[in-house]
Amino acid sequence: MDKMIYVDNLRKEFKKVIKEPGLKGSVKSLFSPKKEIITAVDGVSFDVDRGEILGFIGPNGAGKSTVIKMLTGILTPTSGMCRINGKIPQEDRKNYVREIGVVFGQRTQLWWDLALRETYAVLKEIYEVPDEQYHKRMAFLNEVLELDDFITSPVRTLSLGQRMRADIAASLLHSPKVLFLDEPTIGLDVVVKENIRGAIRQINEQEGTTVILTTHDLSDIELLCERIVMIDKGKKVFDGALSQLKHSYGQMRTFRFELLSPDDIALLDYRGRFKLSDDDCSTEVKKASVCVKFNSSLVSVEDMISYTLQTVHVKDIEIRDVEIEEIIKRLYKREVAV
Amino acid sequence: MLRYLRLHRIFISQHLKRLMEYKTDFLLGAIGLLIAQALQVMFIGIIFSQIPELEGYTFDEVLFIFGFSLIPKSLDHLFTDNLWMVGYSIVRKGDFDKYLTRPINSLYYVTVERFCVDAFGEMLTGILLLSYSIPRLSMAFHWYTIPLALVVVIFATLIYTSLKTMTAAISFWTKASGHIIHMLYMTNDFSKYPVTIYNKAVQTLITYVIPFAFTAYYPASFFLTDKNPLFCIGGTVIAGTALFALALFIWNRGIRAYESAGS
Amino acid sequence: MTKLRHFFRIYLPFSRAGIQEMVAYRANFICFLIGEIVSAFIMFFVWKAVFASSSQQTFNGFTLEDMVVYVFITFLTGYLTYSDGAFAIGEEIVDGSIATRMIRPCSFDMCFLFHELGSRLISIAMIFVPIVAGVEIYRCVITGSVRFDIPHFLLYLLSLTVAYGISFYFNVCYGFMAFFFKNLWGTSLIKETLTSFLSGAIVPLAFLPAPLAAVLNFLPFASLSYTPVMIYMGMYSYAEIAYRIGLQLFWLLAMFLLSKLIWRCAVKRLSVQGG
Repeated sequence: MDKMIYVDNLRKEFKKVIKEPGLKGSVKSLFSPKKEIITAVDGVSFDVDRGEILGFIGPNGAGKSTVIKMLTGILTPTSGMCRINGKIPQEDRKNYVREIGVVFGQRTQLWWDLALRETYAVLKEIYEVPDEQYHKRMAFLNEVLELDDFITSPVRTLSLGQRMRADIAASLLHSPKVLFLDEPTIGLDVVVKENIRGAIRQINEQEGTTVILTTHDLSDIELLCERIVMIDKGKKVFDGALSQLKHSYGQMRTFRFELLSPDDIALLDYRGRFKLSDDDCSTEVKKASVCVKFNSSLVSVEDMISYTLQTVHVKDIEIRDVEIEEIIKRLYKREVAV
Repeated sequence: MLRYLRLHRIFISQHLKRLMEYKTDFLLGAIGLLIAQALQVMFIGIIFSQIPELEGYTFDEVLFIFGFSLIPKSLDHLFTDNLWMVGYSIVRKGDFDKYLTRPINSLYYVTVERFCVDAFGEMLTGILLLSYSIPRLSMAFHWYTIPLALVVVIFATLIYTSLKTMTAAISFWTKASGHIIHMLYMTNDFSKYPVTIYNKAVQTLITYVIPFAFTAYYPASFFLTDKNPLFCIGGTVIAGTALFALALFIWNRGIRAYESAGS
Repeated sequence: MTKLRHFFRIYLPFSRAGIQEMVAYRANFICFLIGEIVSAFIMFFVWKAVFASSSQQTFNGFTLEDMVVYVFITFLTGYLTYSDGAFAIGEEIVDGSIATRMIRPCSFDMCFLFHELGSRLISIAMIFVPIVAGVEIYRCVITGSVRFDIPHFLLYLLSLTVAYGISFYFNVCYGFMAFFFKNLWGTSLIKETLTSFLSGAIVPLAFLPAPLAAVLNFLPFASLSYTPVMIYMGMYSYAEIAYRIGLQLFWLLAMFLLSKLIWRCAVKRLSVQGG
């Protein structure tokens, strides 16, 4: 009962005018433009618990952003419905958006020419945050997102990382119950990414904020999310815990062997020995070390190690954890039956 | 309501600060508008060097109507210039998203963002023309003349803003509508002259279809002659109110049809 | 000959792109046109009222019928000679993307010219015939005789073409000036309004005080609009037409050379600033 977000059979269609190529095509479309209906989101359902961080993933053009835009009240669904904290976004948009925070990584929602401090003053008015709460909140956000260095600069002069931190702080100013983050780490360097992830985790833990996060950076998912929903071509293809995904589909293991002599590398032929395809086994050689990635449901870990040890002299072995990225890459390619 | 005024204050003071940064841009824009209006006045002057009266209107009266037309026009220009951008690019590029994620009226939000100081060029011309022509006219002054003029200016501005809002909202369905705003907006030039110089079709058009005549000629003619208050003033108030209601309706319907832009 | 073919092979694709853009934005164009023609109709009504308010039949040699022709042919001429390719140059200079044009092996005033001609083709086809036909029918109804004169019309076309060339290079000069004053909206508004006045588009130069009219008649602005319109209306003798078109050609050459000069200065400055 205590679900924060309900999404039921959500669907969104767009009309698109098809332009035929060339001069002839454009003259033709002058008289009879062809229209096509594109289903961007095709009957997606899921729900999110209060205080959960949900990773929402899928390849480019899968419909992630369209779902987020329907959940945030920007787009009106063609059919189906979503309810967040008991409210339907499109019904009473102005009151609904008081309860949510939204960040679009691709474009800022801040005012280009306003100094950041001014920006927050404007948002304070828009969300009617009382003075006392505002000061407390700013102090908190300052601490978490380190805004102090650039709080007096106009938004247009901020670096991408600063701007993203500023945008996230802006979305949290009014203490929203749900936070929508669309690609919050896009284009950022590792240090800033780490800082932003830390902030998201902290807000989630301290305030119980429900977070929906879309990203292309799977380490965001691994570090933040317990559960993921994956969509592809507008349909849901996976919904479950990250550990479940790893457990069920995590057959790909990676070992790194460091050899005594680089000349020995030529002796290893994993694919030939175990009769594996390129997809099920790949190797990467660097100086005297060899990295082998293989499907552990076809070859046991024991066989792999003993073959290596028998064939060459090994100085060191490193066993890497299941790589989520690998699983997801395969899921995107529809190699894993869901 | 108070909140909205406070927001406006913040934005305007920001704009004025910014103005200092872009002094030349502002000056060039304002000078451009000033020259454009001044040349129009010169045109009227050249006409009146040939004839004493234009369809029964003296030089001073025509200047009064012309000057009056610039006041609501410049006010609308000053406060709602961003509607042009809605029609030209904001919707097409998907930048309208951000106006929908805040607990504030999206029409208000999109207009408060821009404060088009260039409009001062038009406003200045308008004020100069009024202060030149009023003392030379034998207009009847009553205690209510000034307050009434203010009310009229507000509703006349509302006519401009509503027409711009409606045409800008078309972009929610068609992605871009800047050209439609342009087409409609240009017809406001009709209101600079006494409507009696036009034929019946144009008169009907700018009185009942695109009622720009109520932004200048009708109210101005009331102040000049003291006649027909019901039509001249009442018409402005009714046209402003009705159009604004219609504009809000179309705008809100448009938001539902808004499609954003590809992820 | 092969050189010429090569020339067109380089630049014709720009025209084709211009046509395609025009078709894609046809609705915009039609709306734009309707918006612009409003101003011509306002002028029409104003002049009608002027003649109705006076017992005079002519003002400065213009009858009402002349005035109507003047207003609409001026609109047509202004529309056809309007050149905004240069605005794109200015925009590219301001946002810095001009650099990509500078590394391409083609002269970029030619790129803009052919692009603009392409985008103009459809609009010319759509506006030229209706306006000329409308004006001639009006003249015919009012005066009861056909006033359309083929030699004058052909000379008008010639003068119009030269006027377009002047307008194009004038605007190229203006576009290059963006290197120096990085402002487009305000300056182009000033440029447009001043040009429209100085070229006689707001009021015929004949209505201005004689000394001023004489100066303006000589300046390049008159070549943009007043000269072709006067030729169309048959206000000039053939000798005067020859002189006027000669003057137009002189200004075309002057504008062309000026644009090259400004470009050279601009490039020097650009390389000093490092883009």
